Amino acid sequence: MAGLLFVLPMLVLFVVFRFVPTLGAFGLSLTDYKISGEFEFVGVKNYADFFTSTIARNALATTLLYALIYVPLILLIALASALVLHRIVWGSSFFRGTLFLPYVTSFVLAGIIWLWIFDLQGPLNATLGVINLGPVPFLTGAQPMVLTSLAAVSAWRGFGYSMLILLAGLKSIPGELYESARIDGASVGRQFTDITLPLLRPSLFFVLVIETIGAFQVFDTIYVMTGGGPARASYSLVYYLYDSGFKFFNFGYAAAIGVILFVIVFLISMVQRRVLDREEP
Amino acid sequence: MQRKSPITWAHVIATVLTLFTVTPFLAVLVLALSPAYEPTIPVAWPSRFTIDNFIATLSAANFVRWTWNSFVYAGVSVIIILLTAAMAGYAFAKKRFPGRDIIFWSFLATLMVPVQATLIPMFLLVTRMDGVDTMWGLIIPTLANSQAVFLMRQFIRDLPNELFDAAAVDGAGEWRTFWTIVLPLTKPILATLGIFVFLWHWNDFLWPLIIAQSDSMRTLTVGLATLNTESVARAQVMASAFVTVVPCLIIFFALQRHLVSSIAATGIKG
Repeated sequence: MAGLLFVLPMLVLFVVFRFVPTLGAFGLSLTDYKISGEFEFVGVKNYADFFTSTIARNALATTLLYALIYVPLILLIALASALVLHRIVWGSSFFRGTLFLPYVTSFVLAGIIWLWIFDLQGPLNATLGVINLGPVPFLTGAQPMVLTSLAAVSAWRGFGYSMLILLAGLKSIPGELYESARIDGASVGRQFTDITLPLLRPSLFFVLVIETIGAFQVFDTIYVMTGGGPARASYSLVYYLYDSGFKFFNFGYAAAIGVILFVIVFLISMVQRRVLDREEP
Repeated sequence: MQRKSPITWAHVIATVLTLFTVTPFLAVLVLALSPAYEPTIPVAWPSRFTIDNFIATLSAANFVRWTWNSFVYAGVSVIIILLTAAMAGYAFAKKRFPGRDIIFWSFLATLMVPVQATLIPMFLLVTRMDGVDTMWGLIIPTLANSQAVFLMRQFIRDLPNELFDAAAVDGAGEWRTFWTIVLPLTKPILATLGIFVFLWHWNDFLWPLIIAQSDSMRTLTVGLATLNTESVARAQVMASAFVTVVPCLIIFFALQRHLVSSIAATGIKG
């Protein structure tokens, strides 16, 4: 029974701050909850409201578009970095460190730095001005432009993690495979498509899912850089949740958005599981 | 045999990527050292460098207060999470008690629930407990950390049972065994976990944003975000931003290898 005593502090924390809020999210989403603590059971009204609201559908579509831009972008940077690091012998730990550096900072800090870089009078537009381009409205232009800029900031801050996971995956591929491929005269390209990609698949799927889930939770950079704008061009699902709860105090409705977010993230994990299970012989 | 240079095309790409990751930090430093309201990069190289912005930042009462809050939020969380996760991890790995597996797997299952999904109920719960705008209201709800418990359990499971049996034979109590055997043996994983928990909390934003509502309760991330929206000179904002990142940079330079190898080995996610 001593075991239970050792688990007890963490168990209490989990019950009060993880299990109860998780069940509470479902419960709250079926109510109209006032900050005073009064509430009224309204059934699935919040969900009905969500799926008939233009703002909600816009937030869902915006988040989806963001994910479609962010996930390929960060995977590409992470994979390229991992491949490059895997090749490097001399100076490998130096480069691994410099590429990983942004990962130890906050999204808020990343947002503040890149707000300046993307500014109409910022360094990026100054550089483009030299070759007579721009100014490009990175954060004030059309939706695809704004979301790409935001995705680039999150990718800058976050790719180090996926890079390290992919690098570990690359290191676990036996070198003999490449040697025998070389003896058979396989080109570098063939080696990549026939050896590296198939054997890296589990790591690639892992980072794909992690980053997709991360994309659906995007908030900090948007809060700092665009405030959801211009004209709701970057109004994500979590931003909508935050606004509904803490600007409009519509707690039941905000809880429903949280449940919808949970379902989306859950489905992504399930799809990944299916795909991976099917692949294992 | 062709001559092999240690420098390859991979180094060229790695250098370009390094410019991409490192240059923004150097730019922040240049901006922070530029005299406020004078032309600076990218328009012109600053006429001179000054530490006035840093002095102003570090002598602003609220900034010092936010830094303190961030240290308390991160520091206290590290200590409590390490202790409670080590205790739980030890019990899950080496003890038998009813419901052990169900409890362990239900801890892990919470990984599936994004924190944003439970944000509203968590906030209302802390409101009911009168914890809004208090340090304990900020810290305690973030302590239920399944990654920490999972890592501790995996690490302790691989320790030989004989160590614990020997302690029991020597008549050491459960609590003494924990302090004199479990904690010393788990130092490496405690160090790794400590770094990650510190970074998670130091860089955390959404939870402090909703809980720490008054100016004096803010953490650095929240304070920085508000500085950014107020009409504060850019040089000043950048000096504050740079100070904010200093603890992260210290951790990075001191423990980079440690961080990197533990992500590769455990998949721990910041």
